[in-house]
Amino acid sequence: MSILHEWNQLQTRRRFLGKGANVLGAAALTSLLGRTMADAAPGAISPQHLPKAKRVIYLHMVGGPAQMDLFDYKPKMKEMFDKDLPASIRNGQRLTTMTSGQARFPIAPSRFEFSQFGQCGMWLNSELLPNLGKHADEICWMRSLNTEAINHEPAICAMQTGNQITGRPCLGSWASYGLGSENDNLPNFVVLIATPTNRDQEQAISSRLWSSGYLPGEHAGVSFRSKGDPILFINNPPGVPDDLRKQTIDGINQLNRLNYEAVGDPETHTRIKQYEMAFRMQASVPELTDLAKEPEHVFKLYGEEARKRGSFANSVLMARRLVERGVRFVQIYHNNWDHHSNVNGRMRSQCKDIDQPCHALIEDLKQRGMFDDTLIIWGGEFGRTIYSQGGLTKENYGRDHHPRCFSMWMAGGGAKGGQIYGETDEFSYNIVKDPLPINDFHATVLHLLGYDHERFTYKYQGLDQKLTGVLPTKVVKALVA
Amino acid sequence: MRKSLLALLPFLVTAADAADGAAFNRDIRPLLADNCFHCHGPDPGTRKAGLRLDTEAGFFAPRVDKKGKEEPPTVIKGQPDKSSLYLRMLSKDEDEVMPPPETHKKLKPAEIALVRRWIEQGAPWQPHWSLVAPQATTPPKSSDDAWAKNPVDRFIRAKLDAAGLKPAPEADAATLIRRVSLDVTGLPPSPALLAKHLPKDGARLSDTQLSALIDELMALPAYGEHRARYWLDAARYADSHGLHFDAYREMWPYRDWVVKAYNDNLPFDQFTVWQLAGDLLPNPTEEQRIATGLQRCNVTTNEGGTIVEENLANYAADRVQTMGWVYLGLTTNCAQCHDHKFDPFSQKDFYSMAAFFRNTTQGGLDGNVKDGRGPVLYLPSAADRPRWDALPAEIARGNQQVAEARKAGAPLFEQWFATAKPADLDADIPAKDLVARLALNDGKGLPAGTTAAGAPIEWMKAGKTGPAPVFKKGSHLVLGDAGNFRTKQAFSAAAWIKADKTEGTGAIIARMDDPKQAQGWNFFQAGKNLGVYVISKWPDDAIKVTTSRNPLNTAYQHVSFTYDGSGKAAGVKIYVNGVLAETRAEIDKLKTDTQAATPTRLGQRSQSEAFHGSIQDVFLYARALEPGEVTTLAKLAGLRQSLAGKPNAQQKEALREHFLLNRHAPFKVAANAVAKLTAEQMTIRNRSPLTHVQEEKMNSPAMADILIRGAYDKKGEAVAAEIPAALGKLPADAPKNRLGLANWIVSEANPLTARVIVNRMWQELFGTGLVKTSEDFGIMGTPPSHPELLDWLAIDFRTHGWDMKRFYRQLLTSATYRQAALVTKEKLEKDRDNALLSRGPRFRMDAEMLRDQALAVSGTLSPRMGGPGTKPYQPENIWEVVGVGIQVYKADQGENLYRRSLYNYWRRMAPPASLDLFNAPSREVSCVRRDRTNTPLQALVMLNDPQYVEAARILAQHTLRDGGDDLARLDAAARRVLCRPLKPAETAILTDSLGRLRAHYVAKPDDAAALLGVGDAKSDDKLPRPELAAWTMLCGQLLNLDEILNK
Repeated sequence: MSILHEWNQLQTRRRFLGKGANVLGAAALTSLLGRTMADAAPGAISPQHLPKAKRVIYLHMVGGPAQMDLFDYKPKMKEMFDKDLPASIRNGQRLTTMTSGQARFPIAPSRFEFSQFGQCGMWLNSELLPNLGKHADEICWMRSLNTEAINHEPAICAMQTGNQITGRPCLGSWASYGLGSENDNLPNFVVLIATPTNRDQEQAISSRLWSSGYLPGEHAGVSFRSKGDPILFINNPPGVPDDLRKQTIDGINQLNRLNYEAVGDPETHTRIKQYEMAFRMQASVPELTDLAKEPEHVFKLYGEEARKRGSFANSVLMARRLVERGVRFVQIYHNNWDHHSNVNGRMRSQCKDIDQPCHALIEDLKQRGMFDDTLIIWGGEFGRTIYSQGGLTKENYGRDHHPRCFSMWMAGGGAKGGQIYGETDEFSYNIVKDPLPINDFHATVLHLLGYDHERFTYKYQGLDQKLTGVLPTKVVKALVA
Repeated sequence: MRKSLLALLPFLVTAADAADGAAFNRDIRPLLADNCFHCHGPDPGTRKAGLRLDTEAGFFAPRVDKKGKEEPPTVIKGQPDKSSLYLRMLSKDEDEVMPPPETHKKLKPAEIALVRRWIEQGAPWQPHWSLVAPQATTPPKSSDDAWAKNPVDRFIRAKLDAAGLKPAPEADAATLIRRVSLDVTGLPPSPALLAKHLPKDGARLSDTQLSALIDELMALPAYGEHRARYWLDAARYADSHGLHFDAYREMWPYRDWVVKAYNDNLPFDQFTVWQLAGDLLPNPTEEQRIATGLQRCNVTTNEGGTIVEENLANYAADRVQTMGWVYLGLTTNCAQCHDHKFDPFSQKDFYSMAAFFRNTTQGGLDGNVKDGRGPVLYLPSAADRPRWDALPAEIARGNQQVAEARKAGAPLFEQWFATAKPADLDADIPAKDLVARLALNDGKGLPAGTTAAGAPIEWMKAGKTGPAPVFKKGSHLVLGDAGNFRTKQAFSAAAWIKADKTEGTGAIIARMDDPKQAQGWNFFQAGKNLGVYVISKWPDDAIKVTTSRNPLNTAYQHVSFTYDGSGKAAGVKIYVNGVLAETRAEIDKLKTDTQAATPTRLGQRSQSEAFHGSIQDVFLYARALEPGEVTTLAKLAGLRQSLAGKPNAQQKEALREHFLLNRHAPFKVAANAVAKLTAEQMTIRNRSPLTHVQEEKMNSPAMADILIRGAYDKKGEAVAAEIPAALGKLPADAPKNRLGLANWIVSEANPLTARVIVNRMWQELFGTGLVKTSEDFGIMGTPPSHPELLDWLAIDFRTHGWDMKRFYRQLLTSATYRQAALVTKEKLEKDRDNALLSRGPRFRMDAEMLRDQALAVSGTLSPRMGGPGTKPYQPENIWEVVGVGIQVYKADQGENLYRRSLYNYWRRMAPPASLDLFNAPSREVSCVRRDRTNTPLQALVMLNDPQYVEAARILAQHTLRDGGDDLARLDAAARRVLCRPLKPAETAILTDSLGRLRAHYVAKPDDAAALLGVGDAKSDDKLPRPELAAWTMLCGQLLNLDEILNK
């Protein structure tokens, strides 16, 4: 790493840490970042080209939404109701053991109404996503994502970290590693777990998804919680008001300064900064999480649900408040999209949870002039099968996991609005045009953030590790405005 | 020119090194590995032009070009200008220059100059250091050999001399006692221990005094606990399976064994062989089998849809990876998909290693149950041992008698069978003490004496024995007085049921009075399990027994229970389809004998817990049925059907078993006797701890298929178990299984393990290993800071019987270790990270040490060792948000809140929050080196976690009770926490703090009361609240000092 890069990096970090300029300060600084100076991270940190997005809000739909019931319109399937999926289409596809024992694979056409939206003419489920449809021309639609993974744990992991095996850093950690912080008092990377209205068949989410992997620990996501303290241990114990806490921290720091004079360890300097930052964080989080000052029209926009702590609408509103305050990456998980049965019943409440809030987020960011440099990503970990799992009627059916194709969308932050990318066959089973592997998608997101995925690396186990792994990967320019 | 270039490269070459030129291992190989190995390294898959720079021949052997023409070697010794290696690096031609531009790699002029210099020197080649056996060396001479306490110091001093540094003075006695105590036991010295060992005159500790201190500390059980903590990170020990539901895994006997092994000072070679192959030793002991748990600590899954074969491949891969990091210092995981890019570790090597770990009896799905579906070892209590040991033989004898009776009764059966009709079977229904029988199979009205309550009951056409009633919320059947059992009376119930779903709870048959603290009894569904309540008063005068292995599904199943009236959970047996189910006693506290006043019901308790599904063919008995009778009830429906038609061979056999069980006395007696013995065995098993062990399939050799690109379903060549080729081969006479591997690991033939393990022991004490990348001794790892010392220590450790206590003692008594942790400007410049050991070790302690320290100095630490994972304070909603299904974390009460952090229940998806924030690993994969970051979130833990707030309050209580004025109390608190008296400047700051705190809490008594209410332990009411609150905050300040957070 060049001296210049290191200096750049320190400049960015310094803003998070407050001032600190002498040698010891710099040493303290690197130590606070979890490494010693000799390790100072290799790989480029400053943007490698002009970034389009400065921050990301990633809405992950846990469980794998059914693409053909939302975005991947397949009108011909109506005629194929309850007919067997042709073997030529399935073509030796690996199935989960949940349907591999099924005697037949009867086609379940989507039971929802679709219509076209915007100049781009995107076909959408108009029953359940009317609000999202209003932004058809601002959204970059992707219908040809595909993954190797077929079960939730590895698939979410692949979607988040580029690899099915756990232990790699996720997109949020990479973004934090690259972008640094714009805020002295808050973490770079925040995770929110939204509680869906219906909790029938939730899938596992775990903190491993937002651990920093081999990146330094401070790039791990900090989970804001929907019950109890919003950040772990952020609140003083009962009977300790803020001014008293300030006094105790001042006392601790005075004693630490004496100790520093006696021993001379730069780590002690770090400790002093650490406690000062903790206090600043304590002071700023209550304001952040207090929605009382949001005006009525905001709740009108996001919906009344936004008042309910932990709802998706509430999480999305919180995400807006976070990015407004300089947080770089907000990851929201919304669960219960794993519709092995009762698509008709469950898809409705899922979409009700997300349709208005997604619209509100786009609208709100536009009003605040932040839409153009905030990238919104929406999507799950895989798609679902056109054939029904379990009982099939015209009204209702279930769908199993399907890795060969699924749909996602992006908006703002340099994503090309009105683009409809990729095409699947009439069964929404195989991709027929412009396949979009996860690694290409990741490379494109990094590109929007100003990084060349080939050069945006971190040295670990002797290798220049990167989000996009070792296989050939490309930025998909068609997705970029 | 060259000199000035080199001066620009502080990371590569120090000024001292430049004088002796370029060394291959130190300077050249890292440079080539970084820039060239991807295309010219060990992996043939990505190798270009057939050129290898990872072998000696690659440099110096003549080469052949594409047309078969001979070319000169890549390097001509002494002649850089004729060596293509050097010339290609210099080239300006885009097609010629190496590395090529598209790799985005570029050599710096100084690096190219180093290559030139190396070739000029004759290009001396060295094999990678860690693959060569450790070399015996004599400790070097240094400028001051008198400083050295043992040979370790002479190696350290020589390096300091070379860097122009002097060691720091020896730490004062109190500091050293604290350091040694923390390093040996993970705990600060108790005031008594400190007083005992602190020289009175302010002198340093003498050698004898230090030695006595170490002896005393190493004899404490806390020694093993502290050592085990490091090992359990490496072993990826946890109390949950890790994926999907992330349910409980019972594994703690392995954890307790590790503690014991350290305390017993089990030599490291045996420690290793037992863990890798304890089960394959001749007549393995129980301990040796428990030790194999190392291999069962990996993450497992039970996710629906996953493929067993793929899961097993993943489990084996994890074991190879762990093996690599823990014992070999090799990052083997790269080779799961392709040959290693840098180290001589091929994909074949990976699967040859995997072969050692794949030939086991483990299944691919853990069942979300605590035994993970085996193999496990049960560990009955001492009281249960005699019966546990005797039962297998008794059962075998019983089965012999059953077999004989079967043979003798066969002619009688044939006689009966010739004329038997379905109706004949009714005579076999146990009649004694039958108090109710409800067929519920006519699809019409209700049986006499019963009334339907709530909504009318619907009937489904195809029940088990005809149309069946379907129960749901709001509809149930009232049976009246039948089943009016007392809580200490024997009774039984049986029925066919079909549950609509395997979630939620519902009463199948119950006589339970909801408003009266659930008095009565209840046979119920709980998700995929069945349970029985016998309650006089919930929850302290009650029995609750549930099945433990998810036997319930949504098909028709025959379910029953028997209760012997003993008032004990062990008196309850639950059967599914006539087979005794494994159960656990959740509550076993029935005291009084009572009788519920509400009627007996099907499908609901008196008011709550509706069952959803159908219930049919109900029997109620006022006694505990014999196992054989339960079997009969479960089989009758099927047997009737068989007899109605033409029974096939299998059906005939079932009829024969039934006949013998009911109509042939010798068989009946023998079968019931065996059933009772089996039930006794199961009862002992159900109440015994268990632990996962490794178990070899004895009928197949250890083999594995190479998986192409690591994919479980793309099988390549099958390979036999073998060590990595670069390290040799197993001896010809060694078994080709884990035992062969284990013996090789601790043999002299293995160049790695002794180095790897001494390095980690060094790391524990000094914070950083001599090889900083303690998991990677490969080409891309950091080279050792003191290679000769590392080799010397490795040989010393091995030749002294792998004696771990001796090894630690040697380091603890060294002058190097005893140095004060004083940082000077010069040391900061020349040895900023203390890699040269120019001062004593000082670094932020691990999460567990911080928590244990707070418990220890406040006098609340429980000395209790071992047992199931403990659940101390934790913020709400940590567990609930992870994994499938909702598991609620319920903190323990009392002593378990104050146990050592080693015993914390470790759920992998949500490890203990306060430890996690201090870089404790999730234990999903092996970890031999923790991160050590300092984040604001950690300060929040120390300031606000109830564990620390409570510890501060209890410390304050001790301080106030001890009496004296403020100064005396401040001094006493400081001595407890810091192990030293306060300095005047510190006293001034603390006195000032105390004044402010006191003023606040005197003015705001409510704040004082609120603060003192934190924690499970009651605050001392005899002490004035404002005073105690002020001192609580003051003690909190002490617990947050940098000096306390650091060793």
